[in-house]
Amino acid sequence: MISDIPALVSQGAFSEDNILGWIFQLAWILIFVVFMFYGQRIQTMLMLKEIESSLYRLKMMRDKGREIVISTIKETGKPDEDPTPRVDRFLEHVDIGPVSLDPVGIIQRLEHLMDVRNTRFKDEVRLMAPHADETQINNLTNVLEAALALNQIYKSIRHYYLLGKKTLSLYIIMQLQMILPLVMKESEAFANALRAFTLGQPIGDGAGALVAAKLMYGREKRRIAKDIVVSKVPIDGRTAYVLKAEGPGGKVGKPGEAIKEILEENEGKVSMIILIDAAMKLEGEKLGEVAEGIGVAIGGPGVEKYKVEDITVKYKVPINAVLIKEDIGDAVSTMRKEVFEAVNVAIERIKRLIHERTKEGDTVIIAGIGNTIGIGQ
Amino acid sequence: MDENIHPVRKISTFFMVMAMIMLVLSVTALYQAIEAYRRGSLDLPSIMLSGGALALSMYMLIQMRSKPLKLGFEMPKVSTTIECLNCSYKMVRKFERGDYVFKRIGECPKCKGEMIISSIYREVEERGR
Ligand SMILES: [Zn+2]
Repeated sequence: MISDIPALVSQGAFSEDNILGWIFQLAWILIFVVFMFYGQRIQTMLMLKEIESSLYRLKMMRDKGREIVISTIKETGKPDEDPTPRVDRFLEHVDIGPVSLDPVGIIQRLEHLMDVRNTRFKDEVRLMAPHADETQINNLTNVLEAALALNQIYKSIRHYYLLGKKTLSLYIIMQLQMILPLVMKESEAFANALRAFTLGQPIGDGAGALVAAKLMYGREKRRIAKDIVVSKVPIDGRTAYVLKAEGPGGKVGKPGEAIKEILEENEGKVSMIILIDAAMKLEGEKLGEVAEGIGVAIGGPGVEKYKVEDITVKYKVPINAVLIKEDIGDAVSTMRKEVFEAVNVAIERIKRLIHERTKEGDTVIIAGIGNTIGIGQ
Repeated sequence: MDENIHPVRKISTFFMVMAMIMLVLSVTALYQAIEAYRRGSLDLPSIMLSGGALALSMYMLIQMRSKPLKLGFEMPKVSTTIECLNCSYKMVRKFERGDYVFKRIGECPKCKGEMIISSIYREVEERGR
C-alpha cells in the first residue's frame, strides 16, 4: 500500500483539482458511519418531527373548536356572564366506564351512566346558554361533545408524543406514527361535525332518521320513549309503526326503548322490524350505497342494541337492517347529496321488504336510527 | 401546559438546513463530474447520482414551502331546497341558520300552497385533497 503512494502522487491523486474528490470520499464515509451508528436515532427524530407537526395541527383544531363553541354560545344563548371558564371546565370532562370484571347487569349500569352524562351535559349547556331554546340546547350539546372529543384526542396524542420524546423509544413513537393518519382523519371529521352542529345542519348519520321522517311526514305523532316519536303509517295494506328521534334538535334518543314499548303494546304481534341506519363504508365502496341485512343496526355503546335483541328473542320477531353506506367523515359532517338521494332508494327497499316478507294486515316496525339534527318530521 | 411543544412553523428549520446541505453537496458533485467529463473521463454513474440528488433536494425544498394549514372548519357550500306541497314549484337557496328538513316556509308564490324545506345538502366538492 505504502509503495503505491508515490505512484498515486505522480498520477496526480493529491493534486489540487483532485483534493475535492478526497473530501467527498471522506464525507461519504462519514455519512455512512453516522448512519450506521445513529440511523435509528435519526429515524426516531424524524418521526418525532412529523408527529410534532400533526400535533400542532391537532392543537390548532382544538383551539379553533373551543373558539367556535364559545362564540356560538354567546350568539345563541346570550349569556349574562362570560361562558369561557365554564366551557374550559367542561372540555376537561372525564367519563368513567362501568366495571367489567363482573359483567352481570353491565348494560343497565352503562345505561344509567349514559343517562347521568346526558342530563349533566344538558344542564351544563342550560347554565352556559340560559336563553337558548330546546333545539339550540340539543345542538349546543352536540357542539360541545365534538369539542370535547377534539380536546381528548389532542391530549392523548400529546401524551404519547411527550412520552416518546422523553424515552426516545422507537416503539412508542412508531406506534403513534402508525395510527396518526387515522387519528387525523377522525379529528377532521369532528371538526366538520362541530361546524355542522353549530348551524344545525343535517349530518350524514341522520340518513336513517330522514328515511323515517319522510315516511311519517304529515301523520299524527306521539312520544313513546325518551326523545323518540312514533307514527302509525299504512304501507301496502300493512300497519307500520315508524319511529325516529324527535327533530330538529341534535339527538338520538332511545330507539331500543321505543321498539320494546311498541312490541309490548302489541303483545309481540309484529311480523317484522326494519332498522335503517348509516353504516361505515369500506374504502372502495360507493357513498350512498344501500345494503340490506339482518340484525340490529344501532350504533353507539350497545345499550339500545341490547334492548332490541333482548325483546325480539322473547317474541321471536325477525329483525332486518337497511344500511346507507358512508365513511366516518361524511357521517358526522353535513349530509351530502348522494346520501339524500340514497334515502329514496332505501325507502323503496323498505317497501319491497314489507311487500315480500309480510302479509296484508300485518304490523311492522320501521325505526330510523341516527342523529336527527336538522331533520324535522 | 403546552410549554413542551414549540410551535412548529410551517417550514421546519431542521429540514430546511438538511435540504440546503444536500443541495450544496449535489451541486458540487455535479460540477465535479462535469469537470471530469471536460477533461475526457466520462463518469456516467456519478453524473446520474449527483443529478438525482440535485433533483431530490430541489423537490424537498419546493415541498417544504408554505403549505396552508387546513383545519377542517372551512364552511362547505350547503344548499336548501324548498318545495311546494301542492304544485311542483321548487326553489334552491343557500342554507340559512334555523333551516331544517320539513320546516314550513310560508306560502308558495305560484299557488299559495304550503312550502316546506325538502332537502338540505352539501355540494359535492372534488375529493382527495
Ligand atoms: Zn305551489
